[in-house]
Amino acid sequence: MATTKNLVVADAGVLIHLDELGALDVLSDYAAVFVPDAVWSEVLRHRPQALQNKSIHLVYVSAVAYSPKVNAMAKIFTLHHGECEALSLCLDREIETLLTDDTAARLAANNLNLKAHGTLGLLIRAVRQQLRSADDIVQLLAAIPQQTSLHIRPQLLNNVIEQVKEEWRDKQ
Amino acid sequence: MNTIIQAEIPQQLCQQAQLLIQQGWATNLQEVINEALRRYVESHEDSLSEAFIQDDVAWGLHGDD
Repeated sequence: MATTKNLVVADAGVLIHLDELGALDVLSDYAAVFVPDAVWSEVLRHRPQALQNKSIHLVYVSAVAYSPKVNAMAKIFTLHHGECEALSLCLDREIETLLTDDTAARLAANNLNLKAHGTLGLLIRAVRQQLRSADDIVQLLAAIPQQTSLHIRPQLLNNVIEQVKEEWRDKQ
Repeated sequence: MNTIIQAEIPQQLCQQAQLLIQQGWATNLQEVINEALRRYVESHEDSLSEAFIQDDVAWGLHGDD
C-alpha cells in the first residue's frame, strides 16, 4: 500500500523539464505523482506529451481549494495559480514533498514545512535509486542548457556536474 | 534613473490591477508593476536559487527518500 512517503505533488516545471530531457522515468519509483488542475493545464499547454508518459503514475486532481496558509504565502512570494494549487494539495493530502524548479515556490514550501525538490535533484537521485546509470545522468545534466527550458547559471551547472562526477567516481 | 520598458500583459491581469488602483491600493499602474517586479526579483534572488540547487544536489546524492 502506498504511504504518503512515496507520493509527491508536481509543479509544471519539473514535468516539462524532465520530459524535455526524455527522463520522466526518474519519477517511476513514486507510487503516484499528483498533478493539480492548474498545473495539468499548464503542462498541457506547453508540453502535452509529458502527460502521456507511461513510465510514471500521474494522478490528475481537479478543484483544489487554496489553503489559507498558501493564500498568505501566495501574496508574499507572488506565487502562480499552479504553484498555489500544488502547495495546497500537499497540505490537504499530507504529502510532504513538492516537485518544483521555482525558487519562490521552494521558499514557500520551506515555510510550510514541506520538502521541495527540483529537476537536478531528481536526476541525481535516480542514480541512488538505481533507475539510471551515473553516466546517463551526467549526460542529461550536461544537456540541460541545450535541451530544456530550465534556466541555470552555466558555471553553477558545471560545478554540479563536477561534484557528482567526483562523488560517483569515489564509489566506483 | 529609470528605464522605459514595453511589455504585453494579459487583459484580465491589467483590469485586476486597474481595479486595485481605483480602490486606492496603489497610485497608478507603474507603481503596481514596480512592486510586482521588485517582489519577483527579491523572491528569485540568485544566491537563494543557488542555495536551493545545492540542497537539491545534496539530497539527490545522499538523501534517504
